[in-house]
Amino acid sequence: MELKKALFERRSIRSFSEKPVEKELIKDILTAGIYAPTAGNIQPWAFIGISDPEIINKIRVISPGMLGHPKVLICVFSDQKKAYERAGKGGKTLALMDCAMATQNIMLRAFDLGLGTCVVRSFNQVAAHEILGTPDYLQPELFITIGYPAENPDPPSRNTGIIYWEEYGK
Amino acid sequence: MINKELYRGLFEVIGYMLTSARGLIDEPQLYGPFRLIDGVSRLCTILEKEESGYGVFFTKLKAKIEKKKYTVMSDVDTFVGMMDELVIDFSHKMNAK
Repeated sequence: MELKKALFERRSIRSFSEKPVEKELIKDILTAGIYAPTAGNIQPWAFIGISDPEIINKIRVISPGMLGHPKVLICVFSDQKKAYERAGKGGKTLALMDCAMATQNIMLRAFDLGLGTCVVRSFNQVAAHEILGTPDYLQPELFITIGYPAENPDPPSRNTGIIYWEEYGK
Repeated sequence: MINKELYRGLFEVIGYMLTSARGLIDEPQLYGPFRLIDGVSRLCTILEKEESGYGVFFTKLKAKIEKKKYTVMSDVDTFVGMMDELVIDFSHKMNAK
């Protein structure tokens, strides 16, 4: 698939088919995630792939922004310990940016493989820690819902009037 | 006899409401009405199966919500119009009882 097609045609998918998602595809998608840009090559992140329906449902209950019934979830964590050790106070922000870039890689690769995704930030981080049994220094930043799409949403409008050239306002 | 499926469903909606309440403090204003409307849809999903005399009403209510709830992100007027319509539907049902 051309990169341009993935960039312009990927949509947030909130309705998924019952078709299961092969584990090999998820491994492939996660590999795309770890090849995202990362400040100073710190790689201040960790990922958990979740396909157990019981765990997915628990996460769904504590994630108001998770809509539909995905077959797989990926939780993207920032590694606060690694970020602080390698980049000091600024590491927190850098880790967040790195996680966002990894998430975009994951969603584009998923689209490339015919899968739908939606990124979710509206979830309770304390509850997610509890459910996933993660150490305190791993901060759950985003969930990515994954499944075969059962919808084909129209592209949302975009404001192109915020692009300038050489200086602000021109 | 206790309907375990019903209580499990309601338990999960309570989780949704609790985490929504906490999350909404730091979220965009329009997420509030959206969460409430989505919560109504989730309750309808649980309650439409019960033999209460409200089943058909809950099913229709849910269908209307599911059809237009995502307009909150693209067309707020349509979203608000949907909510007005739902309130009218609810009032009619309440009067009919």
